[in-house]
Amino acid sequence: MTQQTFIYQPKVSDVLKNIRKVMVGKEEAALLSVVALLAKGHVLLEDVPGVGKTMLVKTLAKSLDCNFKRIQFTPDLLPSDVTGVSIYNPKSMEFEFRPGPILGNIVLADEINRTSPKTQSALLEGMEETSITVDGQTVPLGEPFFVMATQNPIEYEGTYPLPEAQLDRFLLKMEMGYPTAKQEMEMLTRTSNSHPIDEISAVLSREELVELQQEVSNVYVDRTVNRYIIDLVTSTREHEGVYLGVSPRGSMALMKAAKAYAFIHDRDYVVPDDVQHMAPYVLSHRMILTSEARFEGKDAKSIIEDLLSSTSIPVKRNNSE
Amino acid sequence: MLDRDSLFYRLMLYIIGFLLFCEWLRPLEVISNTDDVRIFFIYATFCFFVSFLQVPWYLSVPLKGLSLAFIIDGLYIGERIFSGDWFSVLYGQILFNIQMIQSQEWWQMTPLFRSLLFLILLWLMSYLLYYWFVVARRMFFFVLLTLIFVTVVDTFTVYDGKWAIVRTFILGMMALGLSSFAKEMEKESISIDGFHKAKVWAVPLLAIILLSSAAAYASPKLSPQWPDPVPYLESAAGGSGPGGSGRTVQKVGYGEDDSRLGGSFIQDDTPVFEAMADGDRYWRIESKDTYTGKGWEDTLEEPVTNMNPADITFETFSDEVEVEEQTAMIMMKRNASFRKLVYPYGITSIKGYPQNYDLLVHENTGEMDTVSAGNGDPARLGSSIISYEFPSFEYNQLREAGADDPQEIQEKYLQLPQQLPGRVQNLAGEIMEGEDNRYDKAKAVESYFSANGFEYSTTEVPVPGENQDYVDQFLFESQIGYCDNFSTSMVVLLRSEGIPARWVKGFTGGERVDTRETFSGDNVQNVYEVTSGNAHSWVEVYFPDIGWVPFEPTQGFTNNADFYTDVDTPENEDETTGTENQQPEDNMGNPQQMEEEEQTSGSTDVRDTNNVNWTWVWITLAVLSAIALGLYFTRFRWMSTLLIYRYRKNKDEKTYEKAYHFLLKLLDHRGIKRQPEQTLRDYAIKVDKHYQSTEMRRLTHNYERVIYRNESQQSQWPEVTELWENLIKKTLS
Repeated sequence: MTQQTFIYQPKVSDVLKNIRKVMVGKEEAALLSVVALLAKGHVLLEDVPGVGKTMLVKTLAKSLDCNFKRIQFTPDLLPSDVTGVSIYNPKSMEFEFRPGPILGNIVLADEINRTSPKTQSALLEGMEETSITVDGQTVPLGEPFFVMATQNPIEYEGTYPLPEAQLDRFLLKMEMGYPTAKQEMEMLTRTSNSHPIDEISAVLSREELVELQQEVSNVYVDRTVNRYIIDLVTSTREHEGVYLGVSPRGSMALMKAAKAYAFIHDRDYVVPDDVQHMAPYVLSHRMILTSEARFEGKDAKSIIEDLLSSTSIPVKRNNSE
Repeated sequence: MLDRDSLFYRLMLYIIGFLLFCEWLRPLEVISNTDDVRIFFIYATFCFFVSFLQVPWYLSVPLKGLSLAFIIDGLYIGERIFSGDWFSVLYGQILFNIQMIQSQEWWQMTPLFRSLLFLILLWLMSYLLYYWFVVARRMFFFVLLTLIFVTVVDTFTVYDGKWAIVRTFILGMMALGLSSFAKEMEKESISIDGFHKAKVWAVPLLAIILLSSAAAYASPKLSPQWPDPVPYLESAAGGSGPGGSGRTVQKVGYGEDDSRLGGSFIQDDTPVFEAMADGDRYWRIESKDTYTGKGWEDTLEEPVTNMNPADITFETFSDEVEVEEQTAMIMMKRNASFRKLVYPYGITSIKGYPQNYDLLVHENTGEMDTVSAGNGDPARLGSSIISYEFPSFEYNQLREAGADDPQEIQEKYLQLPQQLPGRVQNLAGEIMEGEDNRYDKAKAVESYFSANGFEYSTTEVPVPGENQDYVDQFLFESQIGYCDNFSTSMVVLLRSEGIPARWVKGFTGGERVDTRETFSGDNVQNVYEVTSGNAHSWVEVYFPDIGWVPFEPTQGFTNNADFYTDVDTPENEDETTGTENQQPEDNMGNPQQMEEEEQTSGSTDVRDTNNVNWTWVWITLAVLSAIALGLYFTRFRWMSTLLIYRYRKNKDEKTYEKAYHFLLKLLDHRGIKRQPEQTLRDYAIKVDKHYQSTEMRRLTHNYERVIYRNESQQSQWPEVTELWENLIKKTLS
């Protein structure tokens, strides 16, 4: 797929250009992050430390004129460390709410599987709702609100893997991957004097972002395309290598992601190409493989690829419906 | 490209192509009056060789031209080559022939000129086929054409294409295998290094070809499922035909020379004449008396009398026989090359016989020649009305006729060849043993064939060898044959037992095609069409005081002479002796009831009728399926034209969708297939890459808006239509 040939939505294009100034060769990751951001979803990044997860989120936040918060999850982190806590102010003789990092616009939840499920759920619940309740006080979350969680796939010692039900909360799951030698060389050159992130400025205001999000939800999805989404999702439930198929929430997520992807490409309607492109990122973390499939060395992504190449694309209007 | 391996492949392809081309030359000797095909073979080989060398034209043209001149010189021109006279002869010839062509007198063209044209054709073919095989690598069409050519030549001429088809098949498979291999190699840009690797694919290819050819050759094949189409397509009347001149396959029809009988026939249904008569009559022409062991000869041609057509005194039976006055009208076909009178039994006079014609009657054989009175040349009779006395033979009269044959009859009609094998005579004795009268004896022989499993067939009939007797071969060896075999055998068997008999030739009644009012207008008669295929031979047996009585020994034919039992005769005979007596007398000659009779009459007649119908059905089917095939193979072409026209007129989304999908189908047909899981965008990119354009993408983006955006694209219509038409044209070109 040649990204260069696509025409991006102008505002999105600006953001992507900005990111490109900082990140070397992380086009796809940047694009997917924007997809999730515009679709009001959240991203789970699964990769080893040091490949630029934080830098990506930071750059995105800086380009958007949004405030950026980071939570480093550790085993002893408490839910209140995430949500914030009310502290007694002796001066005013009142409890004062000190907001936690979750109240930022763009939140990087680093190594989310390191902390206890209790703390994890504090974040995940916030991701589902539009507000959190702390000490009986309901605090609205920021708008936009975008969580990018990372997970280290290598170390399993002392981790609390996220259960499937909670993985479901993330719109996309993706990897960053190592840069190529050429990219890494470029990276070293760029960062030798100063870090380029210090030189970029916001290209999209918070209001504009909210507006874009609104426009994304207005992207048209035809029944024809929905049929394709349903065919695809249904096929995950029937695949012999899949123990638990994708839930209806997965179909909705796929539609949302496809809409955002279409919007990014400056289109106000979804085509099957959008669905095809988003499916691996949206669906792979929403299914559990059978142990046989795992023994065969298959992973969710390869199964999705299989399904994509066996589900036929509707190319005619079905007038009977 | 010019490395050794590709040269090898090109050479192989070219040689195979040349061998295929040779299949076109091979039949020439048989189907045309070309005497020496070898010359053409040699010239073709030379031309192909020169073409393959790909020498510049200023070398190849003189080379081919010179050899052409040498061939023409060697074949036709006596002068010293390239001398002044030589050129003037050639010039004169060419000038003459061009004049002939201009005046459309094709038959006047000289052999020299025809050979010259043919050699030039070979020359051109060598160019064409080089391009076809080596440059374009399109073998299939030529292979197919060759196969069609061979089958057509095999069907319509005497050329036996059995091996030609096998050869073409093997060569064709090899050619296709080679060319597709070479194409594949080129497509994948794999170089074939060295000869040793050729084995990897050449061995399986050869194995498959040999295996399939062997399997095809060994497997049982159905015999032809429909009759030979030749007679229906040929308009020339086949008056001349079986000559027995030693060729093993002849056309059926009436022939003069019966001195060597045997061999197979090609059916020929060219009409010879139409007859209007009261019933199905045998049309007699002549009888023959001398059996030679190979065939029949006529030793009793004299005397010949110039007879008054109004009063013909030729008789085959006496006044003792009961007769019924009838008339028949004979209408000879214009193109029939037939110069003799065909007449029913009991002919008395001819009405409407041309004044300037003489009727020469051979009194013994009954042959009646129609000749021009002036110079005595045989002349064709148009139509004539024949009055005749239709005989009805009474069983008891026949049975009581006795055996007191006149001396003259005994001398003439008991002849047998010296070398007739004894077993024929023994068989005659066996067959007629126990029969006490001549009629029953004759019936016993007549029915012997059907009772003993003799088969009627016009094919697979052997010709007797040098030391073989025709009758002996049929009776004891082949037991398969047509009328000549049956009738000759019956005559020989009867003569062996001292019963005078003769061999008669003529036509059977033919096929009833119509019912028409007679010339005089007082009666309704059947119209029969008699074709070359109705040429027949049967037997006449002599009964003292009664005369010659026709018998029909041929399997599948029925004797349509009338026999009856006189109920007044005190000795009431059993009814089972003859089958014919079950027909009431009145039925004969009643047109209204003829239809039934026709259906129940001889099985051959029924089969013939079926053949006619089926042939037409087959021909129609073949034509229809050819049209259907043609339409199928060109479907995208004509459908495009049709749809372009239709889509221009109809501007709605439904039409757009159809048009777009037609384009997809067309592209698929051209080898750019869209997989079902491939998105239209991806596919469009692929198509555009193939055609080096952006049109498919533009059209597809537009189409996407219709199906995935549910938008009407009316405003875009002119652009869309143009894009679509361009793409269709691009795909078709």
